[in-house]
Amino acid sequence: LQALQKVNERLLEENPAESLLFDVILITTDSQQQQQSSRVISSTRHYGLEVSRFCFSSEEDFIESLQKNNVKLFLTTDTNEVTQASQTGVVSVLLDQQTAVCSSEQLRVMFCGDAVIRPDTGPMPLTRQAAQSFSTQLGEMRQKFGMFDSPLSFILVTSHGGRESCRGALQMLRSRGVSVDEAYCLAGAPRGPMLSLLQPHFLLRDGYSGLEE
Amino acid sequence: MSEIKPNESAPAPGEDNGEEKDWAAAKAFFDNLKTHKPRPPKPRFAVTIAVSSRTLFNMVAERKIYEEEGVEKYVAYQLEHESEPLKPGAAFPFVKALMNVNSRLRELYPDSEELFDIVLMTNNHAQVGVRLINSINHYDLTIERFCMTGGQSPIGYLKAYMTNLYLSKDSEKVGEAIEEGIAAATMFMPKTEMELSDTQLRVAFDGDAVLFSDESEIIVKKHGLDTFFEHEKEFENKPLAQGPLKCFLEALGKLQRKFYAKNERMNCPIRTFLVTARSAASSGARVLKTLRSWGLEIDEALFLAGAPKGPLLQKIKPHIFFDDQMFHIEGAKELGTISAHVPYGIGQKYNRGKLIEPEKKE
Repeated sequence: LQALQKVNERLLEENPAESLLFDVILITTDSQQQQQSSRVISSTRHYGLEVSRFCFSSEEDFIESLQKNNVKLFLTTDTNEVTQASQTGVVSVLLDQQTAVCSSEQLRVMFCGDAVIRPDTGPMPLTRQAAQSFSTQLGEMRQKFGMFDSPLSFILVTSHGGRESCRGALQMLRSRGVSVDEAYCLAGAPRGPMLSLLQPHFLLRDGYSGLEE
Repeated sequence: MSEIKPNESAPAPGEDNGEEKDWAAAKAFFDNLKTHKPRPPKPRFAVTIAVSSRTLFNMVAERKIYEEEGVEKYVAYQLEHESEPLKPGAAFPFVKALMNVNSRLRELYPDSEELFDIVLMTNNHAQVGVRLINSINHYDLTIERFCMTGGQSPIGYLKAYMTNLYLSKDSEKVGEAIEEGIAAATMFMPKTEMELSDTQLRVAFDGDAVLFSDESEIIVKKHGLDTFFEHEKEFENKPLAQGPLKCFLEALGKLQRKFYAKNERMNCPIRTFLVTARSAASSGARVLKTLRSWGLEIDEALFLAGAPKGPLLQKIKPHIFFDDQMFHIEGAKELGTISAHVPYGIGQKYNRGKLIEPEKKE
């Protein structure tokens, strides 16, 4: 959230009339939290987090809430919520302990350079499209900043494929308006050490971004 | 087979599963390629050489644009010329020679992961990467792993790739790598081209402050040659401490022994040379005994007793020559040898035997 805010700040610095900004909504289906709604709201204020809307809904309606609010990216620590939201075409990301140590100064978005080999284990077609349009919007935001010292950075990681996969992904993303900043091609080398160095905030699964062999 | 990476411990059981899955997926990917490209080896068992983009390719003109016109113009230029392959750089012949050793190793040991693994490690922005990959394709180099850090320091990534040797044009990065315990050197392109072997990888090393520590060089600089000779004779049987490139020589030795095991000693595609200013009579014994105590072999030991290294290197024709003193690097470069400076030890504080005065701060 802090990194998102940083991006907004810098965007407004570049252009005070900027309209393409991040808008953050806090959503909860937890009834306990809903009873303490004022505490939730004041806590976000306490930490200086800019949340524009608070959405208290039930477990049944939360998907509807996401859609009603035209949510482009849903972040949660709950795997069930990720599955449910993805099924209706909302790009959903599972946060974990790794995310907690990521930068608050730069939003780091990761893309995967490997072709989707088994489509049934990949993201749903609906979310793929949504992810693609979201990434195009992120690409637009990125263009407002220079090569270095950008509050938004795109990282491409190719885990299994080699240089051809990587090149294909770079070009494919470029054609969608996403200019990748950092690229790492592992070709089977261990991913763990790399990811702990890269510290992306989330992986945007826009599905097929690799080459067909 | 003993480890080429003696400091690496086996991964924890949880990590191991993830790693094995990634490895299996990569294996499947490469095995299914129509082009039958050899798949890259498992990093744990490989001798990993990381090269920067400016050592692999000649990017002098592009570098000029970066320095004079800034990064945006530089990247724009690279994008414009994306389909034009870059010309070979200082590390190019070395990389080709490594590839040749790999083909020979694959012939003899088709299932072994003990091979050279070449990684492109560059500070460049990923957009420049397309031109780099196009160039790699043009020369059909077996480089499938890379890091394009978009300006971040490569040091962390060097460790993540379990790098055995790092070559760069940037002496600062090389210095940092050495401080982190990674063998590294700054490469220099000679003015004239030498014809190098395409069947044998030839690597030449200086002794003190490269393979060995700089302890003896300190004695020369502080107390003079006579004291040095006395000292070396007295301590002939005490092994010298190791230097930054010792582990790389060790890794080469392990690969050499794989050829000897298959009766290929006469036809071994790796040959190592020691090119030292020490003299055989007075201070040479300690060096040879140290190597023996480490269980390392060097194919040819050349003691120059202070004579210039350039002419001898012209005869040896190495793909790369490592030395800690810029004086020797320059001499080698002048006569066409591809040289790599190892910024380690007391030699860095001296220029041609004179102590470099620290720059006065304003």
